Amino acid sequence: MVAEYTLNAPLRDEDVEQLEIGDSVYLSGAAFTCRSRLHRYVFDEDHELPFSTNARNMLIHTGPIVIREDGQWKLVSFMPTSSIRFEKWGARSVEEWGLKLICGKTTMGSRTIEMMKQKRCVHVSPRSVSPNLWVDAIRIEGVYLFDELGSIEAAWHLRLDRLGPFVVDIDCHGRNLFDGINRLVDENRNKALAELGISSCFSYTKLY
Amino acid sequence: MIKRSLYERVLFETICRGSTVLSEDVCEAFAAAIDREVFPVAKTGLEKTLESIRLSAINSTPACPDTGWPIFYFKVGDECAFEGGFTGLEDAARNAVRNATRKGYLRSTMKHPLTGADPGDNVGMNIPDFTYRFVPGENLEITYVAKGGGSECFGGTRHRVVAFADGISGIEKFVIDSFVDSTRAGAICPPSILGIGIGGTANIAANLAKEAACLRTIGSRHPEPMIAKIEQDLYVALNSLGVGIMGAGGSTSVFAVNIEYAYTHIAGVVVATSSNCMIARRASSRILGDSSVQPMQQPDWFEGR
Repeated sequence: MVAEYTLNAPLRDEDVEQLEIGDSVYLSGAAFTCRSRLHRYVFDEDHELPFSTNARNMLIHTGPIVIREDGQWKLVSFMPTSSIRFEKWGARSVEEWGLKLICGKTTMGSRTIEMMKQKRCVHVSPRSVSPNLWVDAIRIEGVYLFDELGSIEAAWHLRLDRLGPFVVDIDCHGRNLFDGINRLVDENRNKALAELGISSCFSYTKLY
Repeated sequence: MIKRSLYERVLFETICRGSTVLSEDVCEAFAAAIDREVFPVAKTGLEKTLESIRLSAINSTPACPDTGWPIFYFKVGDECAFEGGFTGLEDAARNAVRNATRKGYLRSTMKHPLTGADPGDNVGMNIPDFTYRFVPGENLEITYVAKGGGSECFGGTRHRVVAFADGISGIEKFVIDSFVDSTRAGAICPPSILGIGIGGTANIAANLAKEAACLRTIGSRHPEPMIAKIEQDLYVALNSLGVGIMGAGGSTSVFAVNIEYAYTHIAGVVVATSSNCMIARRASSRILGDSSVQPMQQPDWFEGR
């Protein structure tokens, strides 16, 4: 049976230690967004992150559509983006920003998973692409580095109210939900190739 | 003569519809996948995605915030006359993209590839992209594709030169292995609409694959039996993988496998793949010679499919 949790940020170690891969979670409280340019800005170009993550230790890899309407920010659409492309910076983001939860599409790589295990952090990902079911659970509190990085790469501060559901795909014990799925898909691939009459000894003729 | 003010308005409307209203064949593919899904989490994921798609059409909001690359396909009649000619058409298309971005129908996604600099309007060097096909008649048909980054950036688009000696087996193995690699952890937002281009130079095959993924109607078959059989065999094979929605396990891995081909030098046969996201976004409009406008349910890029 899949367990279901609502997590309220700021998160403590014990909030995430109870989670196991496959669990379903809803997110509440203070979060911030980060994509490639903010990672590069901080970790490659040695700028300080212009805010504290102490009370905001939940990161969402996302580039939302936000427009300015009547002097207010209006969130038009939201969907977590792929986390694996930030692997270069993942371990440092967990360590230096004190993250307890990362929400993003796909998953993270081995270096980040190791750091997540050490620092007690989990990764959660969506099982649907349903921005219209999510936008009402998100309020925009503010934005940093909008002019420097542009609207989707900026650091948006979000206040979440049961945003989800997401599935825990990396727990803080170093387990990854996708490892099991990958094994199953690989077995099915071998069967599918056999069904098509492609021998397991097939090798491409080398042209270059 | 079709006035610029008319085609610029139609371009803008087509972009907005492309981003917010998914075509019937995509919605039907979701409904069919929900019916046959045996994994409860996957079934719920498909249902929630379809529910969100329906809300997008009602609320005029993007079906997915990653509105990706702005791509136009124009089918132009030999006798079609439009004010400003092709440079006017492309200028109007750039304006329409800027306008749609400013109003939140498109996300400001296009950036400088090295610096990441954001012009804020999705217009820059060689973007938007334009492809033309010329046909008899006096109509102008406009198709807008919002090509999402998930399916494009994470291995959904690849090519390999397969020796003629390796035949259909070489082609099918490349397609299956590429698809498995690109769906790890749901990278390309499956279930995918998989386009395959066979033959031609690498860019010809890649373009055919992209057009097969983005412009063909789901459920259509190539008219040549040999190609249709490969489409069907790969459709069955890929749906036996268990990839499921967002790569987390499920009964449906692809909504469609669409193949287009070109004659080629058989020293090496190029095979290219292009995946489209399950949130497959495209819209088409036809401006007739008398300047009346018809929305089109399908691009009709490849006649009859």
